Amino acid sequence: MVDREEILKIATLSKLFVSEEELPKLTTDMEQMIAFADTINNAEDASTDFDNINNLCNVLREDEVVPSLDRDKILGNAKDIDDGHFLVKKRA
Amino acid sequence: MKYEMVAGFETHVELSTKTKIFCGCTTQFGGDPNTHCCPICIGLPGTLPKLNRQVVRYAVMAGLATNCTIPEIAKMDRKNYCYPDLPKAYQISQFDMPLCVGGYIPLSNGRKIRLTRIHIEEDAGKLIHRHGDTLVDYNRGGVPLIEIVSEPDIRSIEEAREYVEKLQLIMRYIGVSDCKMQEGSMRCDVNISVREVGSDKLGTRTEIKNMNSINFIAKAMEYEFERQVDILENGGKVIQETLRYDDVTNTTSSMRGKEDANDYRYFRDPDLVTISVSREEVEELRNLLPELPVQKAERYVSELGLSETDAALLTKYRKIAEFYEEASKGTKNPKTAANFIIGQIFRRLDTESDKEAFDIKVSAEDLRELIKLIDDGKIKMNLAKSTLEKMLDTGKKATEFISESDMGGLDEATMISLCEQAVESNPNAVNDYKNGKEKAIKSLVGFVMKNSRGKADAVAAEAKIKELIAKA
Ligand SMILES: [Zn+2]
Repeated sequence: MVDREEILKIATLSKLFVSEEELPKLTTDMEQMIAFADTINNAEDASTDFDNINNLCNVLREDEVVPSLDRDKILGNAKDIDDGHFLVKKRA
Repeated sequence: MKYEMVAGFETHVELSTKTKIFCGCTTQFGGDPNTHCCPICIGLPGTLPKLNRQVVRYAVMAGLATNCTIPEIAKMDRKNYCYPDLPKAYQISQFDMPLCVGGYIPLSNGRKIRLTRIHIEEDAGKLIHRHGDTLVDYNRGGVPLIEIVSEPDIRSIEEAREYVEKLQLIMRYIGVSDCKMQEGSMRCDVNISVREVGSDKLGTRTEIKNMNSINFIAKAMEYEFERQVDILENGGKVIQETLRYDDVTNTTSSMRGKEDANDYRYFRDPDLVTISVSREEVEELRNLLPELPVQKAERYVSELGLSETDAALLTKYRKIAEFYEEASKGTKNPKTAANFIIGQIFRRLDTESDKEAFDIKVSAEDLRELIKLIDDGKIKMNLAKSTLEKMLDTGKKATEFISESDMGGLDEATMISLCEQAVESNPNAVNDYKNGKEKAIKSLVGFVMKNSRGKADAVAAEAKIKELIAKA
């Protein structure tokens, strides 16, 4: 069973802020997702390859250059930038 | 107690594709930071990577050139680790179904270094550390790499050196990578352990990461071998850890703390579908491969009658081998072109990189024309040699330096008269020779060669001069 500590840990790892009010719903949602995965794992036809369920193969592109994105846009979401770089600040 | 080294290599080679592995951004080296980037290679949510066909083809070629088997099915997996050089916090790589398995690299001492596998993956970005802060440039992020993994079959530093050099040469020959170690397009991790000679057990190994020079690799392995032997001889135990080699102090030091336990939680990348390499495509790529250095060298020895040393020198770099084959094509003796290249031309190419670039002013066709003049008996070797020097200086054809009158050799009477002149006008040399200085004869022959403008047959001239001196 999933408890609130686990949800908080996953949230921290995913860099998500989760409020106290959201916790109960997220806990039940996560429990249901895991239960669903268990159901699939226990399905009788275990031979099905769930890894490649769409049966697609060799979706490839040719080696042709397309223009990159403007650097301003690339850096647009960054918290900190310095001299055209993403800046990861020293941890306090 | 005697110890031996047991080492295996993981070699990263950057592929020479025009674009990155999963997007159309350029792979060009350099460029302002973060200007070769798009939403796919900086890992924005909602983007879909699409595999570059050329990456698959190059990797298969690399596998075929190193005697690997190409499985029919391969897939891409995510290797999870959290570090700023990876924008997605995972690297797309291959875990249990790589493109190539089970090859080998033959060494000159007859041993084979087995390859476990070759897989494709994306390169990480570049980090610049500044006062504790980290600057990130993702231009290199997503550039295609192959990782060539060897079995722990290497037993000495000499073998390690040869292994890395051979890999480098093969990858350059088949054109899948430039393997410039100083620019980072070829980098090696070395696993190394020691054991008592005669034992077949593997000792605890350490891994030295990310070395980009063959000399560093040799030094690091030597240092690490001695460090481990020291520990064992003092009754200690080698700890399995990842090390960094510092070329300034020539020491290795531990790189990762405990928090980085090697759990990459590999799982299939759900964004990328199965790769299937048809047998037809494998054969097509096999046919695209040029003859490799080892095969070429064997052929030069068995079919052209060159010595093993000369064959090795001529096949080391693809440009030289191609030049040699073109220059010797249709000539009487394949050794003539070989001697010109290894002698006069190599003398102008000081370093290995000069040899590899093989930037000379004479074309293979022009050298062949010169050799044909010798073959047809129109000029003698001495004249050919001095002519080649002029050709190398100027880039002009042989016929620019050889007049009609130079061709056709020297008639007997002129030759004898020149020999007589040589003896008459060089009494000192004649005396020296008479007094037992064998070498003095050379200056007399030189006189004949000079005055016949290289047309005289040096061997015949020497015989004639000796005869004249004996008669006198
Ligand atoms: Zn991109």
